[in-house]
Parts: sequence; structure tokens; C-alpha cells
Amino acid sequence: MRKNRRLTAEFHYTLMIAPGLIWLILFSLVPMVGIVMAFQDFTPGLGYWKSEWVGLENFKYLFSMGDSRQVMINTLVIAFVKMILHLIFPLIFALLLNEVRLARYKKLIQTIVYLPHFLSWVILASIILNIFGYTGVINNIGGLFGKEPVVFMNDASIFRQLIVGTDVWKEFGYNAVIFLAALTGINPNLYEAAAIDGANRMRSVWHITLPGIMGTVILVGVLGLGNILNAGFDQVFNMYNPMVYSTGDILDTWVYRMGLLDLQFSLATTAGLLKSVVSFVLIVFSYVTAYKVADYRIF
Amino acid sequence: MKKFLGMAAVVSLLLTSVAGCGSSGSQGVATDAPVSSSSESAKTDTTEAESAVEAQPAGDLAFRKFDAPLDVHIGMSVSPTDSTLPSGDTAQDNQYTRYLRDNYNINVIVDWTAADGNDYNQKVSLAIASDSLPDGLVSKNESYMKKAAKSNMLYDITDLFQQYASEQVKGIMDSTDGRAMESVSYNGRMIALPNITVDTDGVHILFARKDWLDKYNLGIPKTLDDVEAAARVFKQEKPAGDATVPLTGPDKNGRLYCTFLESSNNQHGFDPVFGAYDAYPGYWLDNGDGTISYGTLSDNTRSALERLASWYKEGIIDPEMGTRDSSGELVNANQVGLYFGPWWSLGYGNNDSFVNDPTANYQAYPIFDSEGQWNTHMKAVGTESCLISAKASEDTAAALIIMYNALVRDEGIFDTSVAIGWYPLRVVAAPADECEYEAVELTKVLKGEADPEDYSDPMLIYKNLYQDALVVKSVIPGFEEGRDLNIGDFNQEDRGKFNRMYAIFVGDRPFTQTKIDKAVYSVTYSLTDTMEKKWSNLKKMEDETMLKIITGQADVSAFDQFKTDWLAQGGQEILDELAGLQE
Repeated sequence: MRKNRRLTAEFHYTLMIAPGLIWLILFSLVPMVGIVMAFQDFTPGLGYWKSEWVGLENFKYLFSMGDSRQVMINTLVIAFVKMILHLIFPLIFALLLNEVRLARYKKLIQTIVYLPHFLSWVILASIILNIFGYTGVINNIGGLFGKEPVVFMNDASIFRQLIVGTDVWKEFGYNAVIFLAALTGINPNLYEAAAIDGANRMRSVWHITLPGIMGTVILVGVLGLGNILNAGFDQVFNMYNPMVYSTGDILDTWVYRMGLLDLQFSLATTAGLLKSVVSFVLIVFSYVTAYKVADYRIF
Repeated sequence: MKKFLGMAAVVSLLLTSVAGCGSSGSQGVATDAPVSSSSESAKTDTTEAESAVEAQPAGDLAFRKFDAPLDVHIGMSVSPTDSTLPSGDTAQDNQYTRYLRDNYNINVIVDWTAADGNDYNQKVSLAIASDSLPDGLVSKNESYMKKAAKSNMLYDITDLFQQYASEQVKGIMDSTDGRAMESVSYNGRMIALPNITVDTDGVHILFARKDWLDKYNLGIPKTLDDVEAAARVFKQEKPAGDATVPLTGPDKNGRLYCTFLESSNNQHGFDPVFGAYDAYPGYWLDNGDGTISYGTLSDNTRSALERLASWYKEGIIDPEMGTRDSSGELVNANQVGLYFGPWWSLGYGNNDSFVNDPTANYQAYPIFDSEGQWNTHMKAVGTESCLISAKASEDTAAALIIMYNALVRDEGIFDTSVAIGWYPLRVVAAPADECEYEAVELTKVLKGEADPEDYSDPMLIYKNLYQDALVVKSVIPGFEEGRDLNIGDFNQEDRGKFNRMYAIFVGDRPFTQTKIDKAVYSVTYSLTDTMEKKWSNLKKMEDETMLKIITGQADVSAFDQFKTDWLAQGGQEILDELAGLQE
């Protein structure tokens, strides 16, 4: 009886999560049926039932292929470095911004660095291609110092740096928000006490601010682990070209070319499935760690 | 509505019988091959009416106007850089769709559009994977058509085509000796409308700013040495200011050279450079002794790459090749001295150049090898095709054939200042020698040896000839016998006509007037079974290595490593397979 009353009383909450649930079912659960393609030689017209069953052959072929290793390494390197820097830069920025006393200036800065987050990579990539282009800003500045212009975008040795650097630039303002929020949660009395004890700013940052938000930092870091295989499709896709395949081709772009351009649906699904499995393991690991280290639980 | 359907059924009953008789003759391909299993359903039942006595000639159906507006859903590729569509018009509502609505009661509904190139191919691929083809769709290469056919997603138009195709269309198909029909057949059934393009689409030549060459007293470039010399001067003298690009390269979506899968229409590639080295990268070559080789692996290709790399290093090739959004824009902005491409790259391809500078004297030249030979690779009949969904109604399928007929008959009278690419589901159907034939006949008109009215038969397979003949004198007022035409000889008032005439008389001049000494065909122009699995990987390796060598990101010795890897990772297997198929 009580239970029923609770259900009715909280019905509107249930309603509020409905859109999210429907989204989840439509776009995450239903498509899982397609996983079966990874074990078939899938022909669209024959469908899931009649396509030939090939077992693990797609996986075997995937691993025997020359560039699947390189693609995996690219993905891991780009995603891992991104993950670390997405932690460090926003943190430093949040700490610095927190020390700014002029409230209006603080707001202004925060808004400005926040902006690029809302631009899509489609637009941003063209801007970056222009900035780093042969006749772009960077080469013009270099030219003032007598440097020969360089074509940055076809140099495989710096492509990863470019990808990671621009992504951190785009997102650090946004990622700092969560740290700024955590910073406001620190009891101001602690700072007053420290000031009375004669601690300077560096000291109070070190002994009060950092420990105060450490839990949040660990949490953000650990939760990021689940993204270790997401190197950022839209960014790489809009910025790469065949000359930087060796360092820039990631799992998602590879799957895109394989599955959508070359119609190898089964092989692309296999790669996608592999990615999902690895990500799943990492997510489980990260939640367990989050619970142990930061006492954070979702379920 | 019911009445209409009934009538349509009767008419089609009668006509199938006629078509049934006719098809055993010239279009033999469809009849003697084995019949596929499922895709032809009730639709072919109509052949029972074999005994029906008389019917109208099929020609009337070819341009039939439907009694009630008929909706035809299509997916469409659009050019992201096109600026010819008048404001207010859309892919779904422009002069071409209005023409179809007014003349045939065909109401084109554009379900989706996507930018030409990968974006579009991705949409097609998704439509196939999810079994949601719109009624009509253009497949940009053969693999998409094959995949859809294999999945029984395509309408079996074997009989319908015989009924509805115009005599003109059939004539053009016949002009290819059955190659066109073969390219759209699957298990002996016709499953798509073919794209039949002029042979010259696959022949690549050099386009040069003649006014710049004259300015610096440079001769007409004949060999790669001449090209190099001219480009070097352009680099130094910068006739278009700091933005001058002596020679363009492929852009982000471009290709270095044509391949067996995309064997034509490569603007800003380096096909003539490879040709001058007697190299045919991307082509499967018959060695004449029962073995097959892959053109990219040859020593000649290596030499050509070395040459290109030295050009790139020197800065005479666009330093941003491979990463640039569009090389065509550079040409349109008149910053370019030299570029490579097929005949239509001039006129059709760089319309805006002349808008920006009506005196820019672009000319076209073949590039010869060191012995004075002109070598070129040749293209497949056509790689595109118009797919018709198996789920479309018979009327809809017929409407798509009518649209095809109409394009072939009326392309000449359209105002092509709005790019013809906006014609829904445009696939080109032209006799293989259309451009050369037109150039010869139109020259007769210019000389006064022929009268435009000589070409007035509307069913002539050279469908643009009459319209072109009517205007050729006014578009080229400066014609004089015995010398090459320059930009000053043309009247640019009517952009559409000017583009076409400039492309035919200047852009296609090399192909019309110069004999090709060595024409090379690929052993195959489509994917084999092994390739279907392994090609993506091999192609990626090839694209990457070749671009890197040219741009100096890798030494030319990377070529040797590539050769070994390519053979080891499935290339050898494909070569063996092809050799097997040859026997």
C-alpha cells in the first residue's frame, strides 16, 4: 500500500527520466542486436537471419591486418594523453582563476574560455586548418623571424600533438567548471584560520584548496578511464588526411572508412565490438576504483 | 485513380509483348543469361500477354505524361561549392524539377541530400545497410550497386526498360557494344540505369594559362621538362601575386591519380605526369604473357613519384596539396598557372575563372613522354548508375526511366547556367565519342559547310548537337580557320553555352586532334571477391605512401617497403586471382 502511494507520489519523477530512458533504449539497447554482424558475413538484403555465420573469422582477419595494431596504438595514445591533460589543464586553470579576486574579471575570463566548447569540430577544424595552413597565422609569424613556411597538417610527426593541443584548448574552460564548483564547497573558515596562522597564498592553496578538491579530481580522472578508446572521431575526422594515417588514424575513423565507405559492415562491426568490450572492462574497473579511492558510487 | 491504374496495366500489358519481341535482337545480354531467383516477382507476369495483337510504339511511353502527379522520392548528392542555383530555389524546387513536373507530372521529392564525395557515399551505404533506399538514387561506384543487387534491393527493370527507354537511349546503349548493359546487369537481369560517358572523360591533359606563358616568352608545354620550366617561372614571377600557385595538386577529397575503381574525371591529379613516364598506377595491367601486374608497383611509377617529390620540394606544386579544402577554388580565383584534369575541367570546371577575369586565356595541351609519345590510361564505360528501389511501384520505376530519357533528349535545351548537376538523379548517357563528333560537326557549321538544321532530328543520339549547332556561331564569333581558338574569340554572354563550347573546342582539343599513341585499359574495373575483403587496407597503404613520398614526408625508398608490404598483405593474392580469372 505504502509502496503504491510512493509510486503515485513520485510519478512525475519517473516521467522526467522517460526521455532519457527512451533515448537509451532506441540508440543504445536496440542497436546491440547488430552485434551479431560481427560473427557473420553480413549481407543487408539477407538480414541477420540468413547471412552466413562465420564465427570468429572477422576477428582473426582484423588481427592479421597490418594496420589494426597501428590504429589501436594511435587511439590509445591520443585518448590517454587527452585524458591526462584534460585533468591537469582545467585543474591549474581553476586554481588560478580561484585566486582572482576581481569578480567581474573572473566571470569574463570564465565565459571566454568556455566558448569554444560550443563550437562543433566541423567549424573549428577549418579554422585550425587555416591557422596552421601554409599561408596561415602561424607561418606568417614564423616568416617575420625568417622561418620557411611549413605545412603542419601533413606532418605525421606532429599530428597527435596538434590533435591533443587543440582539443585541450577547446575543452579546458568547460572542464574547469566542475573544479570551480568544488572549490566553492571549501569552508572559508579554513582560509581565515590559515591567514591568522600566517600562511601565504601558496601555502593555503597547497594545504587547503588542493586537499579540498582532491576527491573531485580523482573522481573525474577515474571516470575518464571509460573514454580511453574515444580519441574523438569528429575532431580527427575533420582534421586528418592520408598523409597522417600513421599517427592519426584512430579506431573510429577506421571503422567509418571500412564500414561506411567500403561497405565492409561485418568487419567494421567487429572493430566496434572490440572497442566496446575493452571500454566496458575499463568502465567497470574505473567504477570499482572510484568507489575504493573516492568513495563514489553510482549504483 | 483506379481507372488510371487499370489503364496503365492494360497499356503495359500490350507493350510488354512488343518489347518482348524486340529484346531478343540487339539487347541480347539480358535474355541469354540465367534468370535470377527472387527479385523479379509479379512484375513480369505481364509477359503472359504475349498473344496481344497491336500496341503503340514504345516511343510514346518514353516521354509519357502521367495523368496524376506522381511522387518520386530520391536521395541526392549536391556540390558544396556550387553557386549557380538561383536564390529561393532548392534541390527539390528548381528549373529541372519544375520541368519534370510540368512535362511529365513527375513530382520529385528529395528525401535527403549530402555533399558530393564521401558524405554522399556514406548516405548511400547507410541506405543499403538499413534497407531503406529511396525510390531512386545514384550510386557513385560499382560496389554500391553490386552490394544492393546482391541484397535484392533493386528493381528488375529488364522488361520495363525495353518498354520505356527512348530509341535515343537504346541507340546510345548500343553504341557501347553491350558494355553499358553489362555494367548494370546482375545475374542477367538489368538492375540499374547506366551512366555512359564520353571516352575523353578518362583522358587527362594539362591546362595552362596561355597569357602567362606568352608574358614570359614560354613555349607551349609538351613534355614534363616544359611543364617544370613554366611552373618554375610562375613561381618566381608570381603573375597572380603572392597567392600564385604554379601547379595545383589534389585537395582533401581528391586523388593523386585515377584508379581502376575511379578511372575518370580526376581534376588536379597528376595522371599526365605518370602517363609521361609510361606508368599507370591504380590500374591492373595485362603483361601480355598471362600475368597481371599492378601499375602502382612499377619502376616507372617510382620514377614519376621521384619527379613529383622534387617538384613539391621546389615549391612548384601547391604546398597545401592533400590538405586543402578545394583546389578548384584556386583556379576559379585565377591564382593557378597549370593544372591537370579531363577536358571539361576547362569551361564547365572553372566557370568562375572567366567570371572573375574574362580575358584569362586557359588552353589545353597533351603531355608527351621523352620519346614524343602520348600515353594515357583509359576509363571504364561508366561507373555511376541510377538505382531503382525494389520497393518502388511500377509507375515510379517507369518515371525514373522517363527522367533518364528526358535528360538525354533535352539536356541540349536546358539553360545550363544552373549546373546540370541539379537535375534529379543525373547520370550521363552519351555516345562514347560525343565530344569529338560534336567538335568536328560544329567546326563544319562554323566554316559554313553545314547548316544547323542538318542536325534537327530530335532523336539523334548526339543529343546536344542541334542546340549547339544553333548557337555555335554566336558563341565563337572569332573563329578563323587554321589557328587555335583563344579566349578572345569567344562571346561569354550566355554562360552556359560559353562553358560548353569552351570545353568542347579548347578543353577537348587535345583528344580530338592528337592521336593517342598508347591507350591502356585496366584488366578489371570492379572489385573481385578477394579485393572486397582486402582492398580497403591496401588502398589506405597506397594513398598514404604515395602522398607522403610526394610531399617529402617519406623518402622515395618508402616505395620499396610499400611494394613488399602490399604484396604480402593480400596484393599477391589478388594478382593470382586476377590471373586465374584471365584464363
